[in-house]
Amino acid sequence: MSSPLHAEGLSKAFLSGKVRTAVLEQLSLSLDPGELTLLAGPSGCGKSTLLAILSGLERPDQGWVEAQGERIWSLDHHALRRFRLHHVGFVFQGFNLFAALNAVEQVALPLTYLGLKPAEYRRRAEAALDEVGLAACRHLRPAEMSGGEKQRVAIARAMAKEPTLLFADEPTSALDSANGRIVIDILHRAARQHGVAVLCATHDPRLLSHADRILRMEDGRILDDQHPASPAPTAEDSAL
Amino acid sequence: MIALARKTLLYEWRRYLPATLAVALSGMLLLVQLALVYGIFQGAAVYINASRGQLWVGYPGTRSVDLGRSIPLDTEIHLLMNPGVRRVEPFQWVNGDWRGTPALGSVSVFISGIDPTANGLAFARVIPPQLRHRLYQPNAIIVDAADLPKLGIHLGQTGILNCQRVHLVGVVHGIRALGGVNIISSLATARGLNAGGDLRPAYYIVQLTQSGRAKALRNQLRSSSHPPRYSVWTSSQFAARTIRYWLFQTGAGLGVVFMSLVVFLVGTVITSQTLMGAVAGSIAEYATLNALGASHAALARVVLEQAAWVGTAGLAIGGVLSTILLFLARNQNVPVSIGPLGVLVCLGLVMGITLFSGLLAVRSLRNADPAYLLR
Repeated sequence: MSSPLHAEGLSKAFLSGKVRTAVLEQLSLSLDPGELTLLAGPSGCGKSTLLAILSGLERPDQGWVEAQGERIWSLDHHALRRFRLHHVGFVFQGFNLFAALNAVEQVALPLTYLGLKPAEYRRRAEAALDEVGLAACRHLRPAEMSGGEKQRVAIARAMAKEPTLLFADEPTSALDSANGRIVIDILHRAARQHGVAVLCATHDPRLLSHADRILRMEDGRILDDQHPASPAPTAEDSAL
Repeated sequence: MIALARKTLLYEWRRYLPATLAVALSGMLLLVQLALVYGIFQGAAVYINASRGQLWVGYPGTRSVDLGRSIPLDTEIHLLMNPGVRRVEPFQWVNGDWRGTPALGSVSVFISGIDPTANGLAFARVIPPQLRHRLYQPNAIIVDAADLPKLGIHLGQTGILNCQRVHLVGVVHGIRALGGVNIISSLATARGLNAGGDLRPAYYIVQLTQSGRAKALRNQLRSSSHPPRYSVWTSSQFAARTIRYWLFQTGAGLGVVFMSLVVFLVGTVITSQTLMGAVAGSIAEYATLNALGASHAALARVVLEQAAWVGTAGLAIGGVLSTILLFLARNQNVPVSIGPLGVLVCLGLVMGITLFSGLLAVRSLRNADPAYLLR
């Protein structure tokens, strides 16, 4: 199976006053479909910057990113947005849900930008909520949900678009261990069942045992690329 | 579609309340101010609006009815020669000096000399035929009920006008003057009160055989007078001309424009600040939508739609408030008047305030950079 994302020679530095701080240095990697890849490392090692560059949110100083057969940083602003619309899902540390919308509407909202008909985006939204185990909560607003449930709505929102790439930035850092485990299980299942390449930046050591692949980062470089023999089966995997 | 703008507005109504009230009060201020100014200056054209007849004929180029000068007496014959003209009625304009009680001093008044026949045209809308008939009495006058305290006189009493004793035979409503007191008398009384002055009328009021042909007859009568010895206007045209003069030549119009600008500015500042606050409060959510592929234009539409809803709700509240205020003002004899065009202008201005505020708030969407969510 071809790699849904390949990056080569990525470098990025930020200027703070007159001080130039290198965040990524000549970094290369590929993601495989159907795999949950954890990007682990201490705070400030460049995980989030790498995620932003790979997902088309932050332009690298050097290097290129190829996804869906296109070098995404050669695309213009609108084409890059369309690329994200059709191929990329995001799960952020904060859930970033609109307070006024219920769960179905939260998930359906990005689908409206795909030009889907109301019946279709509602069907997809309800299916995505069902998949994250929140079918019963579909009419609840964020204020009526727990942190874990909100993050599951955020995952449903990202998955309902049926992306080929899913980027998650510290998705469990605001959750307790039980909810953290549920969330990582859902991400893992999303990768396995839908063939999505999931890249999840985290410094939560509890998640390492759930990954198909672990990339350890430090000082803007990938130091280690592991494929653990057999990640712990998720509750849903066990049920299958 | 997911009605994000409307749902957010309803769910977080407290957040949007200041903007909605700002729009409502801006709308109310604009509307009531316009109604007041227009109402007050309608007083300048009361001679025209309270009269029947389709055309007014006066001194060439007269810009306001109160600036009339005498026109030749043969104008009446000239007008009657046109087969489209049914009746021509002279209107005498005399400036007067009313001597009230010593405590009140003197008051400048405007004397309108009119034909007191039952089918007379001048002030026919406010003076019923029976009352009009009383003007046949020598030195009989009629005034507005609201002016009685100013003149210090009651119905049936006498007063001194231009050094002659006059007799108040009736009071009516709706003929208050701008900057003085309107006194209505017969043509003969008015001429008597203008002893030593020009006895020719300032205007002729023309009734046509077919009222719908006013513009055509006006054009005919205009072109038949060369060189122009008089000007001819339709009633509505002369009333509008008079109001326009008072609005724009007296500085009052500039005052209205200035006040409108202040209202516009205050409304825009409050509304835009509220909308900006709302955008800032949801900036992470907007950034997430942008990350997921929603364009900036789509996000801007949400903010503009919110502005439009705020404007609609504000206009509804402002409309109710304005209606109550105008009703109260009318009940208290405060001159207020506004037509559909005035209401439309206010609606347009208020929606302008909200949409302009929305555009200002859209600028804060620039902060919705999804890359910040990953820092």
